[in-house]
Amino acid sequence: MSIKILKPGILATLVADERKGFRSIGVGPGGAMDNFAMTAGNYLLGNSEREASIEFWFPAIEILFQRGLVACFTGKGFELRIDDVPLPLWKPIEIREGSTIKLVKSSSGACVYLAVRSGWKAQNWLGSFGTHLGVKAGGYKGRSLQINDIVETNFSETEVGETKALPWGISDHELRKVYSPSSEIRITPCIETELLTSLSTDRLLSDSFVINSQSNRMGYRLNGLPLSLSRPMELISSPVDYGTIQLLPDGNLIILMADHQTTGGYPRIASVIKADLPKLAQIMPGEKINFKMVSLPEAETELCSRANQLAELKTGCQLRFNDYFK
Amino acid sequence: MLISFGNDIDEEVNQVAIAIHRELGSQSFEGFVESVPAYSSVGIFYNGEIVKQSNPTCKTAFEFVERYLKNILDKLSLNDLKNINSAIDVPVFYRGEDLGFVAQQHQLTTDEVIALHTGRTYKVFMIGFLPGFAYMGSVDSRLATPRKDSPRKIVPVGSVGIAGFQTGIYPQSSPGGWQLIGQTPIRIFDITKDWPCLFNPGDIVRFHSISESEFAELNEY
Repeated sequence: MSIKILKPGILATLVADERKGFRSIGVGPGGAMDNFAMTAGNYLLGNSEREASIEFWFPAIEILFQRGLVACFTGKGFELRIDDVPLPLWKPIEIREGSTIKLVKSSSGACVYLAVRSGWKAQNWLGSFGTHLGVKAGGYKGRSLQINDIVETNFSETEVGETKALPWGISDHELRKVYSPSSEIRITPCIETELLTSLSTDRLLSDSFVINSQSNRMGYRLNGLPLSLSRPMELISSPVDYGTIQLLPDGNLIILMADHQTTGGYPRIASVIKADLPKLAQIMPGEKINFKMVSLPEAETELCSRANQLAELKTGCQLRFNDYFK
Repeated sequence: MLISFGNDIDEEVNQVAIAIHRELGSQSFEGFVESVPAYSSVGIFYNGEIVKQSNPTCKTAFEFVERYLKNILDKLSLNDLKNINSAIDVPVFYRGEDLGFVAQQHQLTTDEVIALHTGRTYKVFMIGFLPGFAYMGSVDSRLATPRKDSPRKIVPVGSVGIAGFQTGIYPQSSPGGWQLIGQTPIRIFDITKDWPCLFNPGDIVRFHSISESEFAELNEY
């Protein structure tokens, strides 16, 4: 059971859950940029959250399904066409053998995940099936997918006939909780927040910032009015995380993303709350964001409600899947 | 969560950071994921919703973790601060592009630079920047040399460098600004191993000088 990559887009990699326990030797957790979309894709297919998924970035993606498969596309900003027939994201789909899938950039959004029933065959490195591009390990031969690569599934117990969407998915209402249409990204204070001048704090919370084109899986660079500290300081290297916002020497900001380094030496002026990372991951270069400071309890409440949302989806979909393919 | 002990580099403070990391590695709380010691701070990573579920009386997971860590800090004894590990020996062929520059800066011969660099043990203060990049110190003050003004686009894998009072080895080829004095033939970071890194924070490292032919014989790349 396999697919063939005809057009990979600008970056296509096998991603999976975070690699845990190796930050102290400089190996970051990696993982999906949009963990909600990746996990939801697996759950919609009755998979565990540990299965690998393929993360595709714009602009145009084309895949040949060499065998019939049950798959699910999740994410934002793409229209899905299977043999030129439009089909929905966020729903499991039976895909007929020999189908050609096209993902075309449409509305706002940046990346899309392809999960498959029973999971993709991927190399496990340090407990995760995700690709570590830096050291060329895990995922698909430790590298990104290229034209004509063939990605295999673990196994398949389901017979697939005609291409069709299965009768369950995630409602728009649930999706709006994760990807609200506003440009607001919520942050909590970080260790060097208080060192910002009061003018800079005002700017951080009232101005807009534009994600610039030098952004990638390691970090999103922002353009905006420059910020400064009340006294210049050179920091010694210290741990950082996905969502840490650092102030660069030129006064601009960078938000560390999924493939961030484990430690960094720039002042950490805020952290994006975990619940808003999926939304942030789906914002394209050129688009604006606004920061809103929230309290730690609020950040934790949001994180828990997101976890509950996914837990409910998991149980619900497992039942649906087992019923449907009985 | 980050525990910070200020913005100074101090070996004792670093040892406290490493002791907390080790303590959490041997015994921790429900929902703990991992910790990262740095020069004068420790990053603590945990699963917020598991911590909250296991401690329903705490207002926030943060509050619980904060209390847990304060407890650890109070209980740390001088014994935890001792290093028990024996030194890891790293062979180096001293032929780096900046060996002459470092010697010249300090009015030393290159042989004297080699003698000073191999003449003491170093502690791994922290690992970061690249997978397996160990920040070690402290070098003899007669060797301390600032980073290059403009970093090299590619530093070859295994290069041994100096930056200020620190010394380190590039575990992968990468851009870098350290003054390169030599190269090790052994793999510092090996993706085929269960624990891929030769070093851990707190380890003691010693360098010894090898010849070009020994380098060729030992070369693992």
